[in-house]
Amino acid sequence: MRGESLRRLWPLVALIAILLAITLVASLAPDVLQRRATQGLVNLVAVVGLYVFVGNSGVLSFGNVAFMAVGAYVSALLTMKAAAKSVFLPDLPGWLAAVEWPVFPAAIAGGLSAALLAFLVGLPLMRLSGISASIATFAVLVVTYVVLGNWTSVTGGQNSLMGLPIYIDVWTAFAWAAAAVAIAFAYQETRSALLLRASREDEAAAEATGVHIVRHRLIAFTISGFLSGIAGVLLAHFLGTVRVETFYLDLTFLVVAMLVIGGMGSLTGAVAGAVVIAALTELLRQAEIGVAVGGVTLAAPPGLGDAILALIMLLIILFRPKGIAGGKEIAWPGGARDAPPAKRKGGTA
Amino acid sequence: MSAPLLRISGLVVLYGAIAAVRSVDLDVARGEVVAIVGPNGAGKTSLLSAIAGIVRPAGGEIAFAGRRLGGLVLEDVVKQGIALVPEGRHIFASLTVAENLALGATVRSDGEIGADIDRSYETFPILGSRRRQPAGQLSGGEQQQLAIARALLSRPKLLMLDEPSLGLAPTIVDQVYLLLRAIREQDVTILLVEQNAERAFAIADRVHVMSGGQFRLSGTPAELQRDPEFDAAYFGIRMGAA
Amino acid sequence: MDRIVQTLVDAVSVGGLYALTALGIGLIFGVMRLINFAHGELIMIAGYTLILLFGQPIAVAMIGAFVAAIVLALVTERVAFRPLRNADPATLLISSFALSFFLQKTLILLVGSRPKGIDFLPVLGRQIDVLGVRLQSLQIVTIVVSIALLGGLTWFLRATRFGLQMRAAAEDFRMARVLGVRANRVIAIAFAISGILAATVSCLVVAQTGIVQPRMGLQLVIIAFVGTVIGGLGSLSGAAIGGFLVGVATILLQALLPPDLRVFREAFVFVAVTLILLFRPQGLFPARGLRERI
Repeated sequence: MRGESLRRLWPLVALIAILLAITLVASLAPDVLQRRATQGLVNLVAVVGLYVFVGNSGVLSFGNVAFMAVGAYVSALLTMKAAAKSVFLPDLPGWLAAVEWPVFPAAIAGGLSAALLAFLVGLPLMRLSGISASIATFAVLVVTYVVLGNWTSVTGGQNSLMGLPIYIDVWTAFAWAAAAVAIAFAYQETRSALLLRASREDEAAAEATGVHIVRHRLIAFTISGFLSGIAGVLLAHFLGTVRVETFYLDLTFLVVAMLVIGGMGSLTGAVAGAVVIAALTELLRQAEIGVAVGGVTLAAPPGLGDAILALIMLLIILFRPKGIAGGKEIAWPGGARDAPPAKRKGGTA
Repeated sequence: MSAPLLRISGLVVLYGAIAAVRSVDLDVARGEVVAIVGPNGAGKTSLLSAIAGIVRPAGGEIAFAGRRLGGLVLEDVVKQGIALVPEGRHIFASLTVAENLALGATVRSDGEIGADIDRSYETFPILGSRRRQPAGQLSGGEQQQLAIARALLSRPKLLMLDEPSLGLAPTIVDQVYLLLRAIREQDVTILLVEQNAERAFAIADRVHVMSGGQFRLSGTPAELQRDPEFDAAYFGIRMGAA
Repeated sequence: MDRIVQTLVDAVSVGGLYALTALGIGLIFGVMRLINFAHGELIMIAGYTLILLFGQPIAVAMIGAFVAAIVLALVTERVAFRPLRNADPATLLISSFALSFFLQKTLILLVGSRPKGIDFLPVLGRQIDVLGVRLQSLQIVTIVVSIALLGGLTWFLRATRFGLQMRAAAEDFRMARVLGVRANRVIAIAFAISGILAATVSCLVVAQTGIVQPRMGLQLVIIAFVGTVIGGLGSLSGAAIGGFLVGVATILLQALLPPDLRVFREAFVFVAVTLILLFRPQGLFPARGLRERI
């Protein structure tokens, strides 16, 4: 029995071990690489957040970056020093202007606020299927962007909020990343997630057997919102500033690209996507700095990285649509294991 | 005996791992009406789809008018002279009756298309009276007539129909089958798939009973009606060893 | 009174632009069930071609812009979308998203991301008097061109052989092929037409704003796309009407909303599209064939 449990937990253990290894190496590396690793871990939380919904429901969401924005702004507002707030946000309501929370409760508050938003928009939206749902999540992104970008009294509008406590270093990021992976893993083993994945393959059959697809989608969406919110918090306290422009199309593209490249069908895919993209961006950064060859510096032009990322995403879709992980979780030595299987419906097609 | 118009040997059609058609041999002679009857899921539609080029067979050969159809792309099959009236009719509901008919002649470039369309309006008067209406407003029986008329406009040598009686009231089905008789008189070869064995028997020269992806029994309607194994074969009960 | 007429003309002119863009998106969706986010990049390339050919006679520059858009459309169809012909809608969505970003980022790589100014058709900047109201001639031209193109496209679809094949393919692609309609040809024609539409919009936008930048197609496509959804995905007239309505709505909202709410007008538009998706997912003007007698 113990062998079976260990086998089931293997993907979780393996993924966290890999992240731990990366973090260890990075912590011994020069500052620049540490920052790259930290950024990669923050992105990982974002991708995992997106995966929790997309991977389990089969519905592509363009809206998760909106949840990141909410998480970031909530945590920012709660942790900024009152003095800073009076400078940047003079019109903030009294109690908000005065509070100064410790970072951890503020982070949780950020995640929960994002989850709340996800829940509220999910209530009507999870009824939609397929493309309509994706379009609706895109609407969530745009509406959030417009609202946050113009709600000047609370968010500063288009201006950056600066002076946030920067407490996200590579180890804190690792802790949150490991937690995110664990949460995602725990969720996808639940009955709700299993039912959701089953319904992916045949909605009609699932409904006929009484599976409340909408309810399970909503659960996935809310958890996904929470994790995305946390990712936003991490980003905000890594950069030290929050700007609404950060949380729009470019970031959406990056997160979706990471998930597509890594593989939308499994948690391993989400992690793989983040790791691969982090490695790639580091390589490209080196290339953009340039290599000195006999007195001449060969350097990649700026913007090459973005173009290459988009190209890779396209190639993956054309030639290996399931992504690097191919829909499978990381293998127990001795055999590949499919992402937690959907319940097979018995009987003829 | 001249070569058959359509000759199928050893046809296999797979959907994933499921064999919808497992090794079917079929000959259809020029001018014949051949019917394939059998229950739902027997593979009848898959068989027609393979002939029409909608699905690529996993094995076997299809020869039409002496020519192998194997490599042909879907759009080219109709050029060879095969027209399909699919299950559910698939008329273009947002296009008018006239436009639907015109589409039937897509592969033709001769000058007689207009005359043929006018002739369709004579043969199918109800279509003539509704020629400018969106086809979606036609009743089921009228749509079936439209689908058949449209298929005929390509001047096919072989007309294939998938479940022409499905979903239609008996009196309408009578009309449809009268039509098929008239078509047959114009020397068009007909390959018919039907769940309603009685209808098929009334019009066919030869009948094949299909279930589980294979032909279980074949013969003239008279032969089959006398055959005690017919019911078993129709309902897919395997006779003898499993 | 003058202000009202000017606002209305402005609204109709912007509506026309969005209608043309929405049509470009709707055409492709009709035949391929693909939402072509990269349509914005067709607009982009036409604009940058105008810059490239600046100094040449206007006709040459414009022809160049049209050719560029059509060629890019056909190439992207052949290379990126044809292999995905039978993929599920989610994959198609992601791939057009990726393609859009790829084209955008590649252009930025080549020419940089800073907006470039261009004095294109300055003659259209003049104001003219129409029935006593001062209007921008560009707006009049936009309206006329939009109507002309819409008319031309309608004629093409209703009166020509290929147009009929396209409409059939848009409704039931497989049945059209069973009848002998060539899939590749129909799709290529759709993409070529979308290139023409994109180039037209690009010329008008460049004439109006005097600026070319990598993101120039994005705003248009996002809003026009919303219009397609509101009008009804799968219906060409729906796309045009939806695009037009959304374009008009953005101008009217701008004029009618109290100043503090004005900045939220895009949010209103997107909330509207979400409501439509929830309560009338087939759109306001669904394709006619969706109502059948049993």
